[in-house]
Amino acid sequence: MNAILQAHALSKRYGQRQALVDCTLELPPGHVVGLVGPNGAGKTTLLKIACGMLAPTTGRIEVLGEQPNGAAVQLARVGYVAQGTPTYASLSVADHLKFGAKMNPAWDAKLAQARIEQLGLNPKQKAGKLSGGQRAQLALTVAVAKRPELLILDEPVASLDPLARRDFLRHLMESVAEHDTSVILSSHLVSDLERVCDYLVVLVSSHVRLAGETDDLLAQHHRIVCTRRQESDLPVGLKVISAEHTDRQSTFVVRSESELPAGDWSAERLELEDLVLTYLEWPVDHGAGSAGTPMQPTGEAQ
Amino acid sequence: MIWLTWRQFRAQALTGLALLAAAAIVFLVTGLRMHQSYTAALAACAPLHACDGATPAARALGAQLSQLPRSYEPMLMLLQLLVIAVPAVIGIFWGAPLIGRELETGTHQIAWNQTVTRTRWLAVKLTVVGVTAIATAAILSWLLTWWAGPLDYLNGDRWAAMTFASRNIVPLGYAAFTFALGTTLGLLVRRTLPAMAITLAVFIAIQILVPALIRPHLLPSTTTTFPINQASTSQFHDFRGTQTEFHFDLPVPRGAWLTSQPPVKNSAGQVVRIESYPECFPDSQGEAPDLSQIGACLAKDNLHQTVTYHPASHYWLLQWMETGIFLVLAGALAGTCFWWIRRRQN
Repeated sequence: MNAILQAHALSKRYGQRQALVDCTLELPPGHVVGLVGPNGAGKTTLLKIACGMLAPTTGRIEVLGEQPNGAAVQLARVGYVAQGTPTYASLSVADHLKFGAKMNPAWDAKLAQARIEQLGLNPKQKAGKLSGGQRAQLALTVAVAKRPELLILDEPVASLDPLARRDFLRHLMESVAEHDTSVILSSHLVSDLERVCDYLVVLVSSHVRLAGETDDLLAQHHRIVCTRRQESDLPVGLKVISAEHTDRQSTFVVRSESELPAGDWSAERLELEDLVLTYLEWPVDHGAGSAGTPMQPTGEAQ
Repeated sequence: MIWLTWRQFRAQALTGLALLAAAAIVFLVTGLRMHQSYTAALAACAPLHACDGATPAARALGAQLSQLPRSYEPMLMLLQLLVIAVPAVIGIFWGAPLIGRELETGTHQIAWNQTVTRTRWLAVKLTVVGVTAIATAAILSWLLTWWAGPLDYLNGDRWAAMTFASRNIVPLGYAAFTFALGTTLGLLVRRTLPAMAITLAVFIAIQILVPALIRPHLLPSTTTTFPINQASTSQFHDFRGTQTEFHFDLPVPRGAWLTSQPPVKNSAGQVVRIESYPECFPDSQGEAPDLSQIGACLAKDNLHQTVTYHPASHYWLLQWMETGIFLVLAGALAGTCFWWIRRRQN
């Protein structure tokens, strides 16, 4: 099977504001992809383009081998839960299931019914009266029971309390595992993604900064602490992500495609959260000469 | 998709149906009573051949008949206003929220990601609610046209701005147009409340502009010029004068729509004043002036007056034209909605 999402030089501009810049990305199938980045980094824009809600300004994108064009065939293959998990406030839970059944030929009524029962939702309850967590679960149910090949979720847990978050992600993982669905999930919190994602994309200031399988990324990145030195004094093959210096010692976060060579330093692996935060804090490609104080991640609220 | 549209529209539709039923009951109850007294009065006239006959009995019956429009005048005004206002209400409460509410609450994002294309989603919404809107206007317009039949006949005026706009087929065009307008504004403004307000404003502007500026010019009108002399003024109905001008009520064909009757002018085309001819306008002390005498007196000065009107035969042509224009506009607005909703993809 080919890539679930293939973007080439994808850009989106809203008037003067550049929401996504030159995004080139290839996501392999069968993963739960975490899309992480600060608010305003372009996560929503990328996901909206992927499901055909927005057209890119320039560049190409293919989702499941097709351009997102709003055709029914493509709509059936991609499930989307928008930011804020909108539902019809005046429709009941049962109405939402009926809605899904009427709107999707491949609707899995049994699955939907089972999920609602499992969640303990009252079918007669109006969606407007549900809690945030319940509403998110309902939106997820509608998206999952449509039986898409790819499920796109935009910050589905952003407004949920920790317990509801865990519940939501657990349910998500269960249905994904059961039906072998690929998932792209965005969040600005790494801790949400750490539990569920096996592939990570870091988006900073409208640019893709990092993309890869979580295990590979964790294996490739190290924090090394050594006597004070310049980046250029490090062995070739180490890509410096961040550099901090005190009077006597330097701390680098480095990426090496092959095994980290031995040296006169102490090296340790990073936690996923550390790793992501490093990329968020050092948003531009860190080359020689640009060492200095870390820049704050720039992000505008959308 | 039809299910979803109906499910979302249900509350508004049921409210509309309840109001329509209430209106229909008012129409039927008062209408039947009025039609009854009208037929009774006509039946009483029949043996006398005419209610405007010369005998005192016939005159009395005629007076009774002409009493009918007067006693039903407030009711007529109210019902007429209702039929005129219904397209606005439809545009505001059915049109503006149709897409505006979805965009406002973000539910379009769930609707547009099911296995139904946006085009179909919009087409079903527009058709289901649009057809209901036109049908509602049709029922109300038909009820009023029936209800006011005797009054319109007795008043002999089908052309008054509110009368024309609330009878026969014109209300259907307005309903289709205002519905499409509300829908389009909801889509463009992305908020329900402002879309409602703009819909109302545009509707009011149209109700003012169309009868004044557009309706009279849809078809070429007829202009007749009368010289002012004894022979012509004896056919005139009345005379009105102010400080600066005067004019006669000129005869127009029966059932015609008099659109303009400018004051009397001289051969150079200038408006003339009463005080220029003091000898021709003796103080009549409240009595009706003798028009032929005034005409005879003014004849030497070569004055004339014009009248512009649409003949009665234009009534249905204008009804169809106005309805057609607003149906076309409604179609154009619907087309805008389709274009706008698909534009985001490519």
